[in-house]
Amino acid sequence: MKVFRTLLLASAALIGGATLSFAADKTEISVSRFFGACEADYGKTTDVSKADGECGIITAMINKFNAESPDTHVKVDIVEWPGYDQLTARIRSGEPPTISVMHEAVISDYESRGLLEPLNDGLKAAGVDVSDFTGAAKEGVTKDGKIYALPFDTHTWLWHINLNLFKKAGLVDSSGNAILPKTADELLAQAKQFKEKTGKPYFVMVLANETAAYTRTFDTLLYQQDSDFFANPAKVNFNTPEAKTALTLLKTLYDNGDTTKNDDYAATVSGFAAGDGGVMINGTWLVGDYVAQSKKPDVALSNGYAVVPFPQLYKNPKVWADGHSWTILKANLSDAQKKSAFEFLAFLWNNDFQWARTGHLPTRKSVIDSDAFKSLPFRTALAPLAQNGTALPAGVKHQFGVQTIEGEEVAAAMRGDKSIDDALTSADDRVNKLLSQK
Amino acid sequence: MAARGMVGKTWGDRIVLGAVIALAILWIVPIAWVLALSFKANSELMMSTSSVLHPPYTFKNYADVMATSGVFHWFVNSIVVSGTATFLTLALASLAGYGFSRTEFRGRDILFVFVLLGLAVPEQAVIIARHQLFTDWKLHNTYLALIMPGLSNAFGVFLMTQYFRSIPKDIDEAAMLDNASRFKIFWRVLLPLTIPAQATLGIFTFLLYWNDYLWPLISATRPEMFTLTVGIASTQTNFAQSEGLGFLMAQAIFAGLPVFIVYLFFQKYIVQAVAGAAVR
Repeated sequence: MKVFRTLLLASAALIGGATLSFAADKTEISVSRFFGACEADYGKTTDVSKADGECGIITAMINKFNAESPDTHVKVDIVEWPGYDQLTARIRSGEPPTISVMHEAVISDYESRGLLEPLNDGLKAAGVDVSDFTGAAKEGVTKDGKIYALPFDTHTWLWHINLNLFKKAGLVDSSGNAILPKTADELLAQAKQFKEKTGKPYFVMVLANETAAYTRTFDTLLYQQDSDFFANPAKVNFNTPEAKTALTLLKTLYDNGDTTKNDDYAATVSGFAAGDGGVMINGTWLVGDYVAQSKKPDVALSNGYAVVPFPQLYKNPKVWADGHSWTILKANLSDAQKKSAFEFLAFLWNNDFQWARTGHLPTRKSVIDSDAFKSLPFRTALAPLAQNGTALPAGVKHQFGVQTIEGEEVAAAMRGDKSIDDALTSADDRVNKLLSQK
Repeated sequence: MAARGMVGKTWGDRIVLGAVIALAILWIVPIAWVLALSFKANSELMMSTSSVLHPPYTFKNYADVMATSGVFHWFVNSIVVSGTATFLTLALASLAGYGFSRTEFRGRDILFVFVLLGLAVPEQAVIIARHQLFTDWKLHNTYLALIMPGLSNAFGVFLMTQYFRSIPKDIDEAAMLDNASRFKIFWRVLLPLTIPAQATLGIFTFLLYWNDYLWPLISATRPEMFTLTVGIASTQTNFAQSEGLGFLMAQAIFAGLPVFIVYLFFQKYIVQAVAGAAVR
């Protein structure tokens, strides 16, 4: 027994020593991210092509990096989406992660406080060709000529279409493709026809416990009318004919019963899958799930799913967009840590195609032009969004707060709690008050 | 049995009983719904949550919760934080309550008012200053930082003070005649009489710490220091977890189980506390 215990202790010491020496050989950097935890399915996966979904792909990617990098070990800190309260707290307490995922919409907030490292030189040294950035990606991570993040994807606003219901409504062409409206009037006419033929609303919209969806649709309608509502990044102007037109359209759809009502996010995701309506306005991230569902027999989307960019209803095809990106936080990093951080960013850059399998759009022009990307379902149709995807100007601070206020006021107008004019005036006042804060 | 139990009851009693049963069902349906969802595959729930009404059912969501490497560590953190904080809160509140109710000193009543004012200050109002304080002390990402803030529990001091005041002073005087010291009177004589209040305060404190989210979110920022609330939230995928509803529900059940067990064992005291019976 004693011999056994001695052997056990010796083995433990050996293993522990080996592990320590292995870890000591590598420079450790911490990476803070959301996207959830899925160790049960992908904890040991290093073949990224075998992983699916945001969580699976990023987990496999980091596993692969840790397995292959001779110099760097990435310690992952997973936070609840969107994670900015925690990130700010970490920075304030002097323990920021080396790298953090960040929406492009909030880069301005962190940059203006001097919390982000400019990456131009480091990316160049690591072999990241910034001229390969797509237009939307470049705009999203650049401020005053400096790049503050490695763009990882562009995610934007799409129409997920139930083709089976569209067929029933007589809204498909001879090739079986959905006939899309080209104007607001056409949209209202289609919605009327759809309801008459199917007995269901045209749209499945997220209208409860949520503000982001309202804002994204509203902003899209403003962008498409060339409304420069943030001509001055420090002051918004919603008291415009374009804003009134956009909000009137949304309210008309609501009043006409052309959308599901009272559905929260999860309810719309399952409601659309169950055939509650013809079009769900939602993001790039659901493409993979609905493609998978359309391949199943005897469900509402069986062989009847399509996805297109938010159609052009006004002057141009612009659509709301944001992007996930990776930032390096200002901290007293050693040269080795800096080198490791850029090594990791370059690895992510080189795997941009794998991330695009989530449904998000790549941030590399070369990936968008690649056969591999084009061979993914519907990606050819979605590719123009990498150019048409439009975000608020980089100089606009507090963008998450702005989006919340916009969403609340748009919702109030749609539901009839406020008149359209009152809602726009209120949105204007509240956003400008927010922007006047440091 | 039920019919026999109703013999001799008035119509008023029956209406009240019916209302209680209806409310109990109303309360339990969402819990049962969450439990049922946790046994369904995520892919099925994405199609429709009505699939919960028929098989197949699965334990995979629970297996996935268990497979999250940090989950047991977070569980231990929550136990350590909630348990220690409960013990220390009981100790401090009992001592303070004894002091305010049984000792005379200058400014006692004013000091007690100041303590009560603590009830009117919400955590959110002081959280930035508190975060700064713990930053200066370099205490973030420690058990101490998670435990300390709630120890100055104004409700606890108030509860214990009122409870001690309700115990007749004759008991102290009788003990004094037997040459008992002040500490002995507190420890041996009075403290055992406050067990119902201790239980009430203990349960509330434990639940408060167990369910706390905001402070651990910004103080315990390293995954190894997460409590269960923060840790489990971090494992959720984006977009309202709409693609992993079953997993989310399994997490909710897992996180709520210890609280359920605490309730099961101490429900008598909780009911007393809610009914105000603990403060005599």
